[in-house]
Amino acid sequence: MIEFKDVNKWYGKLHVLNDINLKIEKGEVLVICGPSGSGKSTLIRCINRLEKIQKGEITVNETPVHTRTTNLTKLRAQVGFVFQQFHLYPHMTVLQNIMLAPVNVKHMVKGKAEEIAREKLVQVGMPEKSGAYPAQLSGGQQQRVAIARGLAMSPEIMLFDEPTSALDPEMIGEVLDVMVNLVSEGMTMCVVTHEMGFAKKVADRVLFMDEGKIIETGTPGQFFDNPQTERAADFISKILTH
Amino acid sequence: MMSFYFSRLVEIYPFFFTGLWMTCKIAFISLFTCTILGFVLGIFRAGDNKILKFIIGIYVAFVRGTPFVVQIFIIFFILPEWGIQLDAFPAALLAMAIMGSAFICEIVAGGINAVPKGQWEAAVSSGLSFVQQLRLVIVPQSMRVILPPLVGQYVLLIKDTSVVSVIGVMELTRVGWVTVVRIPEGLMVFSLVGILYFSISYPLILLSNYLEQRMAVK
Repeated sequence: MIEFKDVNKWYGKLHVLNDINLKIEKGEVLVICGPSGSGKSTLIRCINRLEKIQKGEITVNETPVHTRTTNLTKLRAQVGFVFQQFHLYPHMTVLQNIMLAPVNVKHMVKGKAEEIAREKLVQVGMPEKSGAYPAQLSGGQQQRVAIARGLAMSPEIMLFDEPTSALDPEMIGEVLDVMVNLVSEGMTMCVVTHEMGFAKKVADRVLFMDEGKIIETGTPGQFFDNPQTERAADFISKILTH
Repeated sequence: MMSFYFSRLVEIYPFFFTGLWMTCKIAFISLFTCTILGFVLGIFRAGDNKILKFIIGIYVAFVRGTPFVVQIFIIFFILPEWGIQLDAFPAALLAMAIMGSAFICEIVAGGINAVPKGQWEAAVSSGLSFVQQLRLVIVPQSMRVILPPLVGQYVLLIKDTSVVSVIGVMELTRVGWVTVVRIPEGLMVFSLVGILYFSISYPLILLSNYLEQRMAVK
């Protein structure tokens, strides 16, 4: 479903993605972890072309992403993205946030879009907040709305960039619950996170990155209990004691 | 003596209203064009295209760094030497559009830059086109920052229309000049001119103050 072939990216001299080769199958849940600055966020930001790459190729559903002729609107309608800082539109209500892309990108009629938006709000467990503005919501609620906003486009893939890192500890659970439910519906997901509990519970594969390279991949069991590289072992011990 | 002049002034009051009307016309048309031009320039000034940014930067610096009178003279007296002959009225409008758009460009660019980068990324990721990103997500948020100084700029622009009197456009200030030749009571004549300007500007000043308070709340 998603394929990276020899992908390289530099920020000036900094080699942020170094010969990335990766295949993500339909329905797979991939958790990406690694120290900060390892390139894990950049990796998933390249999938919907929030970032450009300098070498190699990324395809989504066999369609190359980084070409001049890529239909970006179509690509981005297939790929939902959830940010660390939520990035809800502060001047719109929850419902308007969720309806914006379906109405303006998919040209859905308002009534239909609203129906879907309310459905998605039920799915993330906050149907009563449809008329609220983002500033009136807690961080956990905002992130759940952001997930609903992504889902409203009926994407085939959801990308999560540290979705719980900006949250107070007591709100992490409600967001992870929504994500776990999504897994059970068979959504293809790439999740950048340090939530080991989440990884152990639902990930099909864990990918460990450092200095722009994929150092190690494996099932959560293999990776957490029996890491193959010293760097991964070191990283795991650090997030365990933290 | 004073009352004699006053009664003459009363006799010619329609003259002042034609001047006021001309001032309003110049102000209205140029505020309109300045706003559109200023938004377009401001959007690119805040954008990613380095070359466009640079060119607009030079334009803005040049316009902001030279007196408006000089700009009008260039348009009205120098352009004809290169074969571009404009009447006083269109020359005045052109000068106003160039000057106003440069100032509004900076206000708009500042407002757009004040919107967090994540808002662009969220809008991009959801598949919105560039124009939709601006129209639906970025500009509505930046209006909070843009609107108060924009209305303030409108007041300045309206007052700057008085400068176009130097090329003979018969607007309010020019009317004052012409009148004072016949009625040598400068204080009276220009008080009237001042009051008429004030009557257009003051409501906008109030609006600007109001917007500033309202926008600052959140």
